[in-house]
Amino acid sequence: MSDRPAPSPDAMIFLDGVSKQYPGQAKAAVSELSMEIGRGEFVVLVGPSGCGKTTTLRMINRLVEPTRGRIFIDGKDVTHADVDSLRRGIGYVIQQIGLLPHLTIADNVALVPKMLGTKKSERHQRAEELLELVGLDPAVYAGRYPKQLSGGQQQRVGVARALAADPPVMLMDEPFGAVDPIVREKLQTEFLQLQTRIRKTIVMVTHDIDEALRLGDRIAVFGPGSRLAQFDTPLEILSNPADDFVRDFVGSGAPVRRLSLLKVSDVVESSSADMPGTANVIPVDATETVHRALELVLASRAEGIRVGVAGGGSRYLDLQTLLIAAAQPTKVLS
Amino acid sequence: MSTAAVEEVPAPGTRRSTAWVLPLVVLVLLGAVWAYVHSLHMDSIEARSLAPDVVLTALWEHVQLVVASTLLTIAIGVPLGVLLTRPRTKRAGAIVLAAANASQAVPSIGVLVVLAMIFGVGFWMAVVALVLYALLPVLRNTMVGIRQVDPALIDAGRGIGMSATEVLRTIELPLAVPVMLAGIRVALILNVGVATLAAFTNAGGLGSVISSGIALDRMPVLIVGSALTMALALAVDWLAGLAERVLRPRGI
Repeated sequence: MSDRPAPSPDAMIFLDGVSKQYPGQAKAAVSELSMEIGRGEFVVLVGPSGCGKTTTLRMINRLVEPTRGRIFIDGKDVTHADVDSLRRGIGYVIQQIGLLPHLTIADNVALVPKMLGTKKSERHQRAEELLELVGLDPAVYAGRYPKQLSGGQQQRVGVARALAADPPVMLMDEPFGAVDPIVREKLQTEFLQLQTRIRKTIVMVTHDIDEALRLGDRIAVFGPGSRLAQFDTPLEILSNPADDFVRDFVGSGAPVRRLSLLKVSDVVESSSADMPGTANVIPVDATETVHRALELVLASRAEGIRVGVAGGGSRYLDLQTLLIAAAQPTKVLS
Repeated sequence: MSTAAVEEVPAPGTRRSTAWVLPLVVLVLLGAVWAYVHSLHMDSIEARSLAPDVVLTALWEHVQLVVASTLLTIAIGVPLGVLLTRPRTKRAGAIVLAAANASQAVPSIGVLVVLAMIFGVGFWMAVVALVLYALLPVLRNTMVGIRQVDPALIDAGRGIGMSATEVLRTIELPLAVPVMLAGIRVALILNVGVATLAAFTNAGGLGSVISSGIALDRMPVLIVGSALTMALALAVDWLAGLAERVLRPRGI
């Protein structure tokens, strides 16, 4: 076996034919899975329960030891590396949050730096920076205990703890699953904003396809029997589901969901350059989503949108054109 | 920045403390004994048996028995309990727990007598018997305390790169402390009571005051011996309660 596949230089995480077979079970929890995840990419593993998505995630930091196959992180084969130091270099966020109740928020955040031997004063400063980063005022929260915080605040601390040693990779197991829907959406939005700043390679597990579509750069849809049914961008999964399983899993309303993923710039080609003089038109930025553009049109009772294009000038799309363009999967290139 | 309300958890000590009740009971008890003894017309036997140095020596011996046996119980029970909750020894844990349960069911006087027959009499023999007897609550509570730690916390700890030892030190042991302390408190109280039986194996203690009261048919001697034992048990319980409060990790 000399020509075993090696990770490409762009890959941060590379799974090569990874399997997990639990003793006493007829079927493998994960079988012969290969995946390549790029640097700074946000990949969401999604699928019904028992599909092996969590097992896959936990094999990346080897909380579950793979039975077969190899795992590479940042080009290095870590299949047999020292687990403790491997995990210290990988952020880990779980649904149950897992803050230590007898330690203050600052001490919880500083756990990994402490294990790595960072000095106490530096540790504390780092904890304060991170609390700030996740939107918690350190002056208020650093000295508190976990049970004095709401669930949403605790999960912010959980994220801060995972980021404490500035790991290039973060693994998240249903991180927003335990908070109520309103807080969940807020946390998701904030986390996306955070990710645009910190650019970590993130692998996240969820069973919620909406969450996956919202957060992931790419989504890995796992089918029953730990089959990787499709691994692609959200738009591609909605537009061109690989098979009936993916189509069913994504569920109804795919065309409507696509509206939040399509940018105005994606549909601007079907526009006409000439604008009817009488029409009530509102200006929309090309980087907005089609969903947002529709919202603006409906809110102002306009008949269409005007989009500025590169090289000056603007294009005009009426409501009808906008909808038809958005509904055509074939037009989507990204 | 989240605006969610922060639940205020009452700081320790703001609740109305009832810690003064027990010492008051102890003082009243001791005062009553003292008043009772002084209201008596003691005959020479009673006077000799209740001479202050005799009683105080017995009390001191009793305290020594309790302290030595409890320290030894902790020194054996806690590490053994930790050891029996490790993944490799989980099966042995059930067996040891069953054995400890059985030893608890054997009457303490029987244990004392059997040990005295094997090892002879004296202070340390009595300590060994007390340790055997008090081991169960310490061992069991250590195991229960560690087992009740939320597995998600251990998963989080392992997931961020703690070794098994670090998980034990930073997660399992601190979180097991309240349950472990409760077991130690039970062991202490048990030891105060059982140590009265040490008198039968010539190890002294307040049991010797009680047994001479019985042997000499002198009710005041018997009463003083039992009352002092009760007062000691209550005082020890009070101290253990204070220690529990101080040693319990904050935040849980």
